[in-house]
Amino acid sequence: MKSFTTILRSGIAASAIVATASSVQAQSGSDDVQQLREQIRLLDQKLRVLERKQEIKDETAAAAPKPVAVAASDGRVEITSGDGATSLRLRGLVQADYRWFDSANEPADTFLLRRARLVFEGKFNNIFSYVVQPEFAGTIQILDANVNVAVSPAFNVRIGKFKTPVGLEQLQSDPVAFFNERSVATNLTPNRDVGIQLQGDVLNKTLNYTVALLNGVPDGGNNVTGSADFDSDKTVAARLFATPFVNQKDSLFTGLGVGLAVSLGDYATASGRTGGYRTDGQQTFFSYDASVVANGQGVTWSPQGYYYRGPLGILAEYVASSIELQRGALPVREVENFGYNLSVGYVLTGEDSTYRGVTPKTVFNPSAGTWGAFEVVARVSGLDVDDSVFSGGAAGRFAAPNVSASKLTAYGLGLNWYLSRSVRAGFNLYQNKFDLAPDAVPAANALIADDETAFITRLQISF
Amino acid sequence: MKLLTTLLTVAALAAPVFAKDIELLNVSYDPTREFYSEYNKAFSAHWKAKTGDNVTIKQSHGGSGKQARSIIDGLSADVATLALAGDIDALHTNGKLIPADWLGRLPKQSAPYTSTIVFLVRAGNPFKVKDWDDLAKPGISVITPNPKTSGGAQWNYLAAWEFARRKLGSDDAAKEFVRKIYKNVPVLDSGARGSTTTFVQRGVGDVFISWENEAFLALKEFGADKFEIVVPSLSILAQPSVTVVDKVVKKKGTEEIAKAYLEYLYSDEAQDLAGKHFYRPTSDAAAAKYAASFPKIELFTIDDAFGGWTKAKKEHFADGGTFDQIYAK
Repeated sequence: MKSFTTILRSGIAASAIVATASSVQAQSGSDDVQQLREQIRLLDQKLRVLERKQEIKDETAAAAPKPVAVAASDGRVEITSGDGATSLRLRGLVQADYRWFDSANEPADTFLLRRARLVFEGKFNNIFSYVVQPEFAGTIQILDANVNVAVSPAFNVRIGKFKTPVGLEQLQSDPVAFFNERSVATNLTPNRDVGIQLQGDVLNKTLNYTVALLNGVPDGGNNVTGSADFDSDKTVAARLFATPFVNQKDSLFTGLGVGLAVSLGDYATASGRTGGYRTDGQQTFFSYDASVVANGQGVTWSPQGYYYRGPLGILAEYVASSIELQRGALPVREVENFGYNLSVGYVLTGEDSTYRGVTPKTVFNPSAGTWGAFEVVARVSGLDVDDSVFSGGAAGRFAAPNVSASKLTAYGLGLNWYLSRSVRAGFNLYQNKFDLAPDAVPAANALIADDETAFITRLQISF
Repeated sequence: MKLLTTLLTVAALAAPVFAKDIELLNVSYDPTREFYSEYNKAFSAHWKAKTGDNVTIKQSHGGSGKQARSIIDGLSADVATLALAGDIDALHTNGKLIPADWLGRLPKQSAPYTSTIVFLVRAGNPFKVKDWDDLAKPGISVITPNPKTSGGAQWNYLAAWEFARRKLGSDDAAKEFVRKIYKNVPVLDSGARGSTTTFVQRGVGDVFISWENEAFLALKEFGADKFEIVVPSLSILAQPSVTVVDKVVKKKGTEEIAKAYLEYLYSDEAQDLAGKHFYRPTSDAAAAKYAASFPKIELFTIDDAFGGWTKAKKEHFADGGTFDQIYAK
């Protein structure tokens, strides 16, 4: 507008000068010159008025409070206040599986609603945020319910129920992991618990720290009901995760992250340390005797890391878990279990692989000739249970060798098809090999009597 | 005695440690920026010396009516220093934020300084503007803000109306006279400072109906060789009013300091600052000191000519009032 009026004004002035000159030559009359000057003045005023009106309009628009914004994309709905300080976001996750098994115990092939969640996220005053995430598949429960106070990027306080900051894959969001099911190593990392957590990014976002004080949950366990602690002893979990090259966008190691996590607590429980360790096919291959309880100190530590570059992604972690257990009135014994996971993914269609998942460049649309993104994944993982759990005879051992394996080595291959940013189909083939305890003679139909082969397909929508 | 001396010394040393940091928000109208910027420093120093507390005063400026609306809508103003009592009345009638009898809580009907309305014209007064009549003539371009949002504009409007009523003898004639003036208004800014920008900086218009202090400020800032002040034969006694916003200060716990902030406007120091910034002081000493600065004009009051702000607002500036009738968008 301004440039237009400037040009127009220049044009008017030039025309007027020419006209003035001609007029002066033709008539040599000062009246005509005066009239032309007046015309120029009036036109100039008109242009100034137009400019000023536009200026006022712009100022008014800039000063006006921005209206509440409602945005919906990829199924996600977000309502944000005009100043952006307050928002409510509604998200969801549905995972529908079909599972084939080839195992000694011949579990039923089945359709399964693996996860069905609604996620309510919000923030207000730019400082406070919250998450409430109910789970409707399987055991209906509140998975996450916490309030976060973001004092600064380096200092956040979270209170409520949230993931314990230990396992790298455990901390990754469900729908973006390489495989439909997390590796067997996550059997040893604590899952969601109730407590308070401090966290933040420091050193120009190259180091993330997390420290949490929690009630304490078993290996792989959830505090399902968010209930009160069994005793007054608490668990401390801490994690340091460094991404030293994250600010160097052209570095070969921009996507490198390494960390170490530890949890330490005193446990006294009414039941076993864990409900059981499960295979990739989610069948229990190890469980403690029902009369075994935790009674003493438990320590879990996990060196971990990932590397993402272009379509390549690698995620690795090692987990060591020790816990003092007791059966009946027998002496307390320490048990040490170990797990590991090495997963690799490669996006065939060239999109970037990241810890937060893959965003396809195109969406599935046969009429347009676009198919989304495809990713191949492979994994080897394992879980080695302390052999001492099988010693002590039938009355003193912690686990029965005929129903629980001493070691599991799991291999996985898979293909992920990203039909859109929100929709993913996954096809995973798992082969789980069991090592038995000495002298174990499992029944022919026991799970551990033979390798487990499982083919798990999934269609998920995550928004 | 030694114990007493020790205690007093400790108390004196500890005083800064226990000094409070207080923040006030003064929501004001457009042309008071410069005055309150200097006054706030003076009051902070005064309050620090008196109590040891540190006070920071934030300022918000805009069209007076618009500012009143913002306070009613939730802007946490500790004090409102608006262009006219009518806008402060709205804090009671529309927001129940202050009591109905707010006007009598401070001296001079809560108007610590006054002003009036004059004309600002370009150097040499090319259109020979002398009085209100000249603003109603065809072909002259008049700058004044929007009376719907600006307190200053309401003073302008009523001054023109009363001039015409006295000269032409009736309200109908006055209405027609004011209609002619607004026919000559090419741009309606939302506040007086916006109109100053329109006239002084953007070069729009031939005459600017202006607060007296704003006209003096334009001369000071942009040079007396560029503009001239024309004093009409009759104008209005403009009484910008101030009040504590009771509901806000009670919630924030700033009642005492907010009250003191406004009371200090009547002090010698503040009255001198008002004169310095071209407001007409209400104290005798400062009025005498700055008497020569202000032209002699016959001034009428809103109460005498229009029966007070409540009546004037209802008749002229409410929806469907005379302004809506004469001003076609």
